[in-house]
Amino acid sequence: MPCLLLFDSFYDLLVPLVLYLGIFRPVSESVVVILFIGFVMDNLSAGPFGLYVAIYLWLFIGTKWIVTFLHVANHFLLPLVVALGVLLKNLIVLGALVMLTDSRFPDDLAATVGKQTLWAVFTGAFFLISFEHVQKRWENRIGKLFVKKNGDS
Amino acid sequence: MLFAFCVIGLSLSGKRGRTSYGSGAAIYFVAPFQKGFTHSIRFVKNLWRHYFFLASVAKTNDALKRELSHATERVNQCNETELSNARLRSLLNFRETINRQVVAAEVISKDPSPWFKSILIDKGSSDGLKKSVPVVIPEGVVGLVTDISTHYSKVLLLVDQNSAVDALVQRTRARGIIKGGTAGRCLFKYVLRKHDIVESDIVVSSGLDGVFPKGLRVGTVSNVTRRNSGIFQEVTVIPYVDFEKLEEVLVILNLPRYAPAYYDHFKSGVSER
Repeated sequence: MPCLLLFDSFYDLLVPLVLYLGIFRPVSESVVVILFIGFVMDNLSAGPFGLYVAIYLWLFIGTKWIVTFLHVANHFLLPLVVALGVLLKNLIVLGALVMLTDSRFPDDLAATVGKQTLWAVFTGAFFLISFEHVQKRWENRIGKLFVKKNGDS
Repeated sequence: MLFAFCVIGLSLSGKRGRTSYGSGAAIYFVAPFQKGFTHSIRFVKNLWRHYFFLASVAKTNDALKRELSHATERVNQCNETELSNARLRSLLNFRETINRQVVAAEVISKDPSPWFKSILIDKGSSDGLKKSVPVVIPEGVVGLVTDISTHYSKVLLLVDQNSAVDALVQRTRARGIIKGGTAGRCLFKYVLRKHDIVESDIVVSSGLDGVFPKGLRVGTVSNVTRRNSGIFQEVTVIPYVDFEKLEEVLVILNLPRYAPAYYDHFKSGVSER
């Protein structure tokens, strides 16, 4: 989030969306969304093209794998899940930065990653729960519309 | 007869200087009633002024507060216009010193990631922009256009780690490559050890990369390190441009005259195909 000093090092808000898709939504719905948002972010960012698509896909795959043996939908674990997602995302970005270019690690690496992780711990669960809530209300509304149409016919 | 008697009596009493007979007694008895009446009138008047009349004062107060907030907002807009005016005048003065076709653009967003440094501007191919055209402001070099659409373009900033500008030290003409570093600084790389560079030296674009016109300010040398091994020295440069406060930029549309020969050969090769 640019221009707001407090949110100068805020984490990528699409990471909670990807994690939500990995935890709560089926693969068929999620892959298209992930590819689309990754494509948009790659076009907006100055990073190597395809980096954000790769990050979001790996986060999605990792989440789907973890869900098979860990009950991460528990609301108490959600902050940890988002924090881990943000850490993993930063790891991939920095790895790409160092390996694909002759760059060094940024001097403010620890501070930026630390701030992003803390923000993720305190606000990440809120986003996941909000997405779940909005999805349920949307499904209820659509369900009622279909019932009404079938009832009329 | 009676009329004459009245006139004579009045004229006589007027000459004596005394207004009446027994006035003290009259005042003594009448004054308290007058005082009480006056106090009553005054009480009612004060009651009206301090309580009932205040309702309209409160409404007037609210209206004045709204007008004040509107006026404050108008003052703020005037201040913003004044600052924008100053920036644009500076940009216009700078533009007149550049003997090339330039387009002014507004910065509309920054890179979504803190690890990459780029901006989006509101000019694109419909305004004559092409890939790899330089972007500058009066303070110095901003960066390079990397992606364009019809109405918008992405600019890679000088401080991004993928950015590179051919530059030289203004004082000694030592040449090197300015690359984006960390924490908003740049590295002046491939500068030979034999060249004399000190802190506070000014670094400018050399024009030899065929992208940036020669002589554009890049930054100031902040640190020079000569190690015992290696043929290059490590030079850190602080850019003149404050990338956190970019709002308007200039895009130079036609390439500089001092393009290297291999670039002209490349262009002719492309046009032949």
